[in-house]
Amino acid sequence: MFPYIIRRLLIAIPVLLGVTVFSFLIVNLAPGNPVEMFVNPDISQADIELKKEALGLNDPIYVQYFRWLGNLVQGDFGFSYSTYEPVLSMVAQRIGPTLLLMGTALIVAYLFAIPIGVLSATRQYSWLDYLSTSASFLGISIPHFFLGLGFIYIFAVQLHVLPTGGMNTLGSDEGFADTFKHLILPALVLAAGIAGRMVRYVRSSMLDILGQDYLRTARSKGLREFFVINKHAFRNALIPIITVIGIDVSVLIGGAVVTEQIFQWPGLGQLTIQSIGSRDYPTLMAINFLAAIAVLTSNLLADIFYSVADPRIKYD
Amino acid sequence: MKRIRRTIGIAAIASLLLLAGCGGGSNTASSGGGSSSGNSGGSSSAGKTMFLGMVNPPIIFNPINSTDVASQFAEKFMFDTFLEMEGPLKFVPKLAESFETSDNQTFTIKINKDAKWSDGKPVTAEDAAFTFKLIANPKVETTVGSYLSMFDGLENTGKLKEGQTELSAVKVIDEKTIQFKTKAPVDPNMVKEQLGTKLMILPKHALENVDPAALSQNPFMQKPTVTNGPFKFVQYKKDQYIEYEKNPDYYLGAPELDKLFIKVLPAPNLVAQLQTGEVHMNVASGIGKIPPQDYETVKKFENVRTKDEPQFGFQTMMFNTEKLPDPKVRQAIAYALDRPQIVDKLLKGYGEVVDGPYTSINPYLDKSLEKYSYNVEKAKQLLQEAGWDFNRELNFVVPLGNKVREQSADILTQNLQAIGLKVKVTTYDFPTVMQKAKAGEFELLLMGLTFTLDPEVSSLYSSIGTFNFMKYKNPKVDELLLKGKAEPNSDKRKEIYNELQKIWNQDVPLITLYSDNEFSAISKQVANGEPKVFGFHNHLEKWSVGGAQ
Repeated sequence: MFPYIIRRLLIAIPVLLGVTVFSFLIVNLAPGNPVEMFVNPDISQADIELKKEALGLNDPIYVQYFRWLGNLVQGDFGFSYSTYEPVLSMVAQRIGPTLLLMGTALIVAYLFAIPIGVLSATRQYSWLDYLSTSASFLGISIPHFFLGLGFIYIFAVQLHVLPTGGMNTLGSDEGFADTFKHLILPALVLAAGIAGRMVRYVRSSMLDILGQDYLRTARSKGLREFFVINKHAFRNALIPIITVIGIDVSVLIGGAVVTEQIFQWPGLGQLTIQSIGSRDYPTLMAINFLAAIAVLTSNLLADIFYSVADPRIKYD
Repeated sequence: MKRIRRTIGIAAIASLLLLAGCGGGSNTASSGGGSSSGNSGGSSSAGKTMFLGMVNPPIIFNPINSTDVASQFAEKFMFDTFLEMEGPLKFVPKLAESFETSDNQTFTIKINKDAKWSDGKPVTAEDAAFTFKLIANPKVETTVGSYLSMFDGLENTGKLKEGQTELSAVKVIDEKTIQFKTKAPVDPNMVKEQLGTKLMILPKHALENVDPAALSQNPFMQKPTVTNGPFKFVQYKKDQYIEYEKNPDYYLGAPELDKLFIKVLPAPNLVAQLQTGEVHMNVASGIGKIPPQDYETVKKFENVRTKDEPQFGFQTMMFNTEKLPDPKVRQAIAYALDRPQIVDKLLKGYGEVVDGPYTSINPYLDKSLEKYSYNVEKAKQLLQEAGWDFNRELNFVVPLGNKVREQSADILTQNLQAIGLKVKVTTYDFPTVMQKAKAGEFELLLMGLTFTLDPEVSSLYSSIGTFNFMKYKNPKVDELLLKGKAEPNSDKRKEIYNELQKIWNQDVPLITLYSDNEFSAISKQVANGEPKVFGFHNHLEKWSVGGAQ
């Protein structure tokens, strides 16, 4: 297994390099550039030209790319074109909140979705099954922004039980309880979508397995139903589910963008939107790079968990 | 073997959870979890803390290199300007005790004798001279260079000539007095508005050893450590909030508030937080606007009072005059647009139709000018006269981001179709719109603009203007614009700008559409202070919040 992991990590290098080339091209080919969008009529053309020169925007695109890559190799992500802050520290500040939000959403979603999916499959066509499939359908189809605004209206504006947004109450304590309160609504919004999808995967995956011969064998050996379901069936149903978890990470990054906007959650999603709006190339590149690493890592982890869940899968 | 695998699996999942937990843990730790006073939702934030709501996130706190309104707005809480404008061209002293000229060419600024930086050092004429010199330095990235363009000895760009290092126009008279000379006599109001109310000076003692070329990257510009305004900078949690604390040694008196926060939040959340009491008021200047469609709702909130007032920003439809060279066609379009409908329906009456670059609060607006009323017949007739080809399709570019403007595009498109024009509407995000605008890839384009109150609008109408996306070229206009800028007498200036308004009204390189009022809501907890179009930052030290509602 370890040689496999090493090999996968080595393959990741050219893949990452390819990702940077493509994202650099795409980011730079998007119309508009960091200095051309100043709306303040007081700014003179001469000042704009000076800024452009200082940021190296007049160089050909490949020169800009290799300069960026050269700095990256030395661990330098450059500085933001709009705030002049080092990109690394900007991104580092945002990772914590994003991980907290995504992690909570994932845990909450799976804690609910997996048992519900299993129950739903074992009691197919029961009222519970209908209820859970309709609820999961709702969870998938309600857009994040809609659910988010609805939650804000109900829980913050009408009931006054939760804050409308942000990560901490300003000017008061910033302890964990306070952060937790701010976390509830955005995490629920994100979790709703993930859970909805998960319930359906678990349910159909379980249904597939439940018809298999080996389960009948297990039952006929006199094994208790609880063990049949949870040991034999669920374990085999896990394999396709692990793939879904791997995909969820990348889906989450996208979903978090909208949710973070609505709840002013200070994570990477919000930073992404700001950086796109201001065509802040270095920041966008750093975010792309990190996202690529996250996706590659989660895929690798999924593959490793595969072999844990199913001994038939071996990597040499 | 099986057991080992399971253990690995559990360990892996556990470590994943831990990772997620760590992210949050480290974050709360870094934000300094302290006492547990248990303040929920901020609605009972009594005491001496005020929360303002802003929609656009500030980018950087560099007083001489900020490209956005939100940053400049936020800087003014910690850096004072020489003057404050309390009403149209009504200037009152702030950091400057006096700002005078006897010949409209040599200006003398006396800095308040009590003014100090937050580290106790006095604010001196040297600081002002240092700032001027930085701005004029060709190596320094700045956005305020144009304010200095009238200085004697500087290029028209506001920069020193190649090889020069001394700024001869500026003289330090004594510790608190500075003098500068312009190339020719100018209208003092123009100087007072630009240099007086917009420019903020930097502390020489904190920045004199910084390489001018690397000034923008200096940490001071993200976290100013030495300031001279009523509030000191504490921290900026990016895109979340700015935290200020009072400057007890402020020269105009210690502020009433202990702390002040500017929260950054989307407009719908701003409305929600006004209702829940999490923000005390929105900010002015179009960066903390309550959406017009929500204003009626906000008016019904019991815990706030509201007000709206006209401002000097406005929306335009620009014409690409190279693609639509016949003024008759542009006039036809101007007649075809039902601008009052936009004000009535979209702004619900809280705004005005604007003709030309000056709104109704601008003293330079020529009120006698004939306006383009909504007249479909006249529009059709003008198109006939111009021999317009009705098969031609017009490319109408609309920027995203301003809801009312997006909706106005629908009304405008219908108006244009009503006179038989073929219109193709395309919407883009702002950077794309700017590129299309500069490249001239449009026939019609929507754009909002905010100038100074001074009538100087060369950047829009001059044939070399930065914002002349219309590619409008009229030698007479260029000549008059230069004359207007150089004329020191404000009555004579008014004549010049009246003449210009007449020409622009004839040529219609762009048609101004509407100006929406500034909408503000102020919590009833606030005892002193409110958003204003003029003089928002005046007497911040007197702002206060009461106790219970």
